[in-house]
Amino acid sequence: MSPNLILPETATGHPMRRRMLAAAGALLLAGTYTALVLTQPTGLVDGLGQTVALATFAAYLVAALLLLAAVLPELPVSTLTLIPVALALNIVLGQFVGSVMVPLYLDSLGTVLVGFLAGRRAGAATGVLGTLIWSLFNPTVLPFAAGAALVGFLAGTAARFGALRRPYLAPVAGLAAGVLVGVLSAPVAAFVFGGTSGVGTGALVAAFRSMGDSLLSAVTKQALISDPGDKAIVFLVAALLIYALPRRLSAGFAFVRRHNVLGSRGSR
Amino acid sequence: MPRTSPLHPFTVLALAAAATATTVAIGRWWLSVAVLLACLLLAAWARRARRLAGLAVAILAPAFGSQLLIHSMADAAGGHVLAAAGPLRITAEGLATAGALGLRTGVLVVAGLLCTLLIDRHDLIAAVDLSPAPPQLGYLLAATLLLLPALEQRQRAIGQAQLLRGATLGGGPRGWFRRVRLRSVPLVLGALQDAADRSAHLAARGFPAAGPHTRLRTVPDSAAQRRVRRIALACIVLGPVAVLAPTWAGAA
Repeated sequence: MSPNLILPETATGHPMRRRMLAAAGALLLAGTYTALVLTQPTGLVDGLGQTVALATFAAYLVAALLLLAAVLPELPVSTLTLIPVALALNIVLGQFVGSVMVPLYLDSLGTVLVGFLAGRRAGAATGVLGTLIWSLFNPTVLPFAAGAALVGFLAGTAARFGALRRPYLAPVAGLAAGVLVGVLSAPVAAFVFGGTSGVGTGALVAAFRSMGDSLLSAVTKQALISDPGDKAIVFLVAALLIYALPRRLSAGFAFVRRHNVLGSRGSR
Repeated sequence: MPRTSPLHPFTVLALAAAATATTVAIGRWWLSVAVLLACLLLAAWARRARRLAGLAVAILAPAFGSQLLIHSMADAAGGHVLAAAGPLRITAEGLATAGALGLRTGVLVVAGLLCTLLIDRHDLIAAVDLSPAPPQLGYLLAATLLLLPALEQRQRAIGQAQLLRGATLGGGPRGWFRRVRLRSVPLVLGALQDAADRSAHLAARGFPAAGPHTRLRTVPDSAAQRRVRRIALACIVLGPVAVLAPTWAGAA
């Protein structure tokens, strides 16, 4: 994981332009989410419902692409070679875990690994790219790109502020990340697809609705039950995998060295 | 032997996106069914109809099951009650909503999967490389698509090696956890080591290359296809606006 020995590390493009793209993506995401939560459109399949579905789909996807365009040109080579491995791990481990009938996803493990080792920007880029490539096999994940970006961003933020210095801090950070990701992704599930992608989670939403909740409220509650647990496990597993890495590998990442991500474990 | 589309990958994607956006905006069941049938016919031409149907059912069956549960079993608003038990009410309006949502999701899934089946992945990588997108994107797409089968193969090999060395797995959640650990730890650590090795080689060669570079693989394209792509991209925005604008005026 040595730095470039022949050429200086240079990022292409203009820093101001990249910051503007990132700000535009974040604003679009926040604006769409706020508008949906404040208005809570009731119709799902009438003219207004179709408008809300298409606008939510487009806004979340465009926001994720803007964030990717802002981050991608400045990633170092060591991170660029790590990202495909992370994306493939997301898919391979996600499929393997899914095939053994255990109610876990573990399909963001690679994204969290990149966030822990290479920082929040690399984590966010991995989340968006992972969703774009996964959408070649399952198009319904496409509007969830912004949620996947948030997972990677929060993993990097947690690592930067010491979530990997003690093993018990990683799942706590995962719980908090799961709450935020669940809340952000709920409007897509509610207004674009009118529910969830699985029968088990759908039954939970139906139970909340039969108790009088609105669709958005029911989907948000279901996400708050499912996502924090999944993300806590993913963060813990990713932390344990990073502890198992040889030190020369983990210390090869500038982010790990600069922010002392592993604490005393990294200096052993 | 399956066929792939002779068109530029971006043309296929733009046409699929335009068709999906306009169909969702119009929201008529007969149009959604017609689009689904057209997708099946195209898949049959590509000799992948069975694969398209299998993949679509695997994704759509749980999603539609969820929509049925949410909208037809717990519908509080519908007036035509077909059955009721406690807080659960099955209404005609709820069933109609679930059906419409299922068709909307179906169009998105089937059109998207059809693109995957029609587009040659090497053409897609070359098209991204030749586009104005950052060069990193082409590398990431190519590396991920080529790594996927390699990692799946390695995962199977690790499982066989663990069995050969006599690692007992056991049953229940404990056995599952042990199986995941014995397969994923060597897989992840080995993959990260490979990535570290690769990054040194790429960095020594000045990746990502700035400026234009020659690509040996060309992607079929033409002025007519470029025009079609521009029209399709306009349709993605203008089609739904044209269809839905009257409903906004009515709501206001």
